[in-house]
Amino acid sequence: MASNFSGVLQLTDLDDFIMPSQECIKPVKIEKKTGKLGKIRIEDDGTYFSVSETGEEKKLEKAKVTLNDCLACSGCITSAESILITQQSHEELYRILQENKLLIEGGKEQETKTVVVSVSPQARASLAVKYNLTLDTVVQKLTGFLKKLGVHYVFDTSFARNFSLIESCHEFVKRFYDSETSPQALPMLTSACPGWVCYAEKTHGSYILPYISTTRSPQQMMGALVKDYFATRINCSPAQIYHVTVMPCFDKKLEASRSDFYSDVYHTRDVDCVITSVEVQAMLEKESISLADVEDMPIDTELSHHKDGVLVNHAGGGSGGYLEHVAQYAVKVLHNSVLSSINYRVMRNADFKEVVIETEGKPTLKFAQAYGFRNIQNIVQKIKRKKCDYHFVEIMACPSGCNNGGAQIRPEVESPKDRFQQVEELYRNQACLLPSEVSEVERLYREWLGGTGSEKAMRMLHTKYHGVEKTMNILNIKW
Amino acid sequence: MMEIKEVCSLPGHEEVAWGVAWNPSGTLLASAGSDKVVRIWAQEGDKWVCKSVLADAHARTVRAVCWSPCGNYLASASFDATTSIWSRKGGEFECIATLEGHENEVKSVSWSSSGSLLATCSRDKSVWIWEVNDTEEYECASVLSAHVQDVKQVRWHPTKELLASCSYDDTIKMFKEDNDDWCCFTTLKSHTSTVWSIAFDKTGSRLASCSDDKTVKIWQEYLPGNPEGIATKDNEPVWKCVCTLGGYHNRAIYAIDWNHRTGDIVTADGDNYIRIFRENECSDKNAPTFDLVASVRQAHTQDVNSVSWNPVADLLASCSDDGSVKIWRIVTTQ
Amino acid sequence: MAQPENANPLVFQRSKERQILPEEEDDNVVDKIDDREVFDLIRSINDPEHPLSLEELNVVEESKVKVDDDRNEVDISFTPTIPHCSMATLIGLAIRVKLLRTLPARFKVQVEITPGSHVSEKAINKQLADKERVAAALENPHLLNVINQCLGGRPQ
Repeated sequence: MASNFSGVLQLTDLDDFIMPSQECIKPVKIEKKTGKLGKIRIEDDGTYFSVSETGEEKKLEKAKVTLNDCLACSGCITSAESILITQQSHEELYRILQENKLLIEGGKEQETKTVVVSVSPQARASLAVKYNLTLDTVVQKLTGFLKKLGVHYVFDTSFARNFSLIESCHEFVKRFYDSETSPQALPMLTSACPGWVCYAEKTHGSYILPYISTTRSPQQMMGALVKDYFATRINCSPAQIYHVTVMPCFDKKLEASRSDFYSDVYHTRDVDCVITSVEVQAMLEKESISLADVEDMPIDTELSHHKDGVLVNHAGGGSGGYLEHVAQYAVKVLHNSVLSSINYRVMRNADFKEVVIETEGKPTLKFAQAYGFRNIQNIVQKIKRKKCDYHFVEIMACPSGCNNGGAQIRPEVESPKDRFQQVEELYRNQACLLPSEVSEVERLYREWLGGTGSEKAMRMLHTKYHGVEKTMNILNIKW
Repeated sequence: MMEIKEVCSLPGHEEVAWGVAWNPSGTLLASAGSDKVVRIWAQEGDKWVCKSVLADAHARTVRAVCWSPCGNYLASASFDATTSIWSRKGGEFECIATLEGHENEVKSVSWSSSGSLLATCSRDKSVWIWEVNDTEEYECASVLSAHVQDVKQVRWHPTKELLASCSYDDTIKMFKEDNDDWCCFTTLKSHTSTVWSIAFDKTGSRLASCSDDKTVKIWQEYLPGNPEGIATKDNEPVWKCVCTLGGYHNRAIYAIDWNHRTGDIVTADGDNYIRIFRENECSDKNAPTFDLVASVRQAHTQDVNSVSWNPVADLLASCSDDGSVKIWRIVTTQ
Repeated sequence: MAQPENANPLVFQRSKERQILPEEEDDNVVDKIDDREVFDLIRSINDPEHPLSLEELNVVEESKVKVDDDRNEVDISFTPTIPHCSMATLIGLAIRVKLLRTLPARFKVQVEITPGSHVSEKAINKQLADKERVAAALENPHLLNVINQCLGGRPQ
């Protein structure tokens, strides 16, 4: 079975030779039935029947494993995938929209959910190339498409990325000062890539987790914005909002499912459902419509990164620009100077780049970008050996970063490489705004969070990581 | 007539002996075992003796060993998920690096002909390529997840930067560098069970493989535009199975080595045999035939796990589940 | 431990102890290893989940033990209690380890699932036949512990 997860995750705990039916080794609680069970018969379709001594037949229930079981388990990740397909898919979005329709028809409008979709810039770029449209057109068409299906608000996750970038900058400077006394403060490793975070939790635990930035990814920042700020603003409970994100990567579904992003108070997730670029394509195909033929509608700018109603981006590449933003901020704060340009030096391969900042001819700050599993490995091993002299590393699981995410639309004719180049070019040719130039962000820090570094800011904008203990259940031991 | 004569049986490994490898000049033999050590053997007068025991680097079985082309380094692959690099200075061996990254047992290690690349493979289904820099540092250059099961062995092409691997998934895969990363460019399918071992011939245009399916297969490379008219795809060479040696082995064949001086192929199997095959001189290149020219029944008292041709002399080394390492002389009589 | 998959397995009667024949005690007679002797080695192996032996669960049967002493061959088929039993590989491994530890090293042992008795029969047979994986498995202390418990030894 081909997996959709990024390569990093497919490599984790993959030491199973057993075929999918046997793959999951999570012990499941079974209601103990009293009395003799008799025999078990398997039908051709794979269902099991228990046949008691008196000949009575009863269909046996299949044991179910939840996604949380999978995430907490040190075993395979494969089972998580099939569960995700049932819990987080465009089918689920359709189901919610259908439910809303039925409620309205039944006169129960107050019970409907407010459906919010936050679209990532990488997914938009993938759709733009696929349908040969400009990015601005895609924004309008996609909004039109979603709203016609019954979606109430369409936002842009770059807006939330302003918070991820600002928090990363602050966290870096704090860690830089802390590093004099705390050996695990640096290098700071980015946390926006859920594939990387999941891999680190499952395989490297306490060796690596302290180095990972606690700053939430844009998707989860958006979750906080929508379910806390926006819910309050439109005067509804977080659970009444169904929040969907559109992402370039399948691993984002795992991220949204983390218990850290679940509210026990409101019984709701910050992001209820993640659909991917390929799933948007599937939705368009289901509706038998090309994106180009959809009626335009303007995106909701309230939670979108825009200038005069036109969406803008962040500088620094297709994976969010963490390195550039942090480098510039660090130079400003730590060196009291301005970084006029960023010079990337390609190291071992194009997915491993270095930026060295010198003051008075001496290197003082070292940054790196490490994408793809091989480069992650070298960074992880260097950290383990205490031989990593970088201060900051932007880490992404996918080679070439998020624009090459595992759920971006694959080309039919041209090579995947050519397709990626087109997506990347489109993505990079957008106007950019610095987070500090967005007055709305500043207002939200002030009015929603009660200032930078406040307790609420820490709660809403940061998260925690949990090493997965290797469980030593006998069934768990693969050999 | 060819005969395989036992030169000596070298006791030393306390448990299963898993792998043997000659250094490039054929003067040193390294052997690896479940006793977690590597032993280095050399000739003193007319006797073979253990010159060094490389211990304390591995926490579990050492599965395989490989010498660098310059002969100054030895790599050892272990079930403890690491690969150790040993530097030979004078008669002393020092562990200078430990390559970590595989999730579990490393099964094989191989040095490229230039000595600047190292490949490892593991039960974790991946093949890793490591690059050696000037400061004796090893960095991961690629992680290849082409196989769907346990990877049993990796072997570099004798002259090019082209890697072959074989697996529990019954296939052989070949990898080469493409722009910025390595990729699998062809998969050789024909064996019906685990492919345990592979060996290139001297030119690198042929590969021999042996399997749990009790056969040996010979694969021939056909370049794009080959005179035989064998179709190629995407301007990549294709590898075709041109010969299957069945009926000789009664149990799984665990090791195969191709002699680059004589062209002879040696196999080791789970029936305690060592066998030597030679290509029939008048056979067609595209449908070669091989004859069994010599064999030793009960070469060891248990499964034979590894065989290796001495690169310069008519010698052969083997090792077994019974813990012994043996050196054999190939004697040809009229 | 979690609930056993087959909570109420059928339990079978144990076979009688073997009669020791006078010639077996005679050191002058070459004593070949036979089916019954090998069966005796494995019948008392404990099931990983139940406090029962493999014989009592009918996982091993004397008729499914084939020994050819002259050819140094031992072939054993075992029958998991249920066709999706996830313990099957572990049981097979326990049988293999028991024989590795007790039979003379000259024997080539094959341990397989009784044809048609398990959904993953082919995969399990292949894994059990892979000596390298068996050897590596036995270096895993947790697994070894479980195996030793099956074999009646004390946990390490």
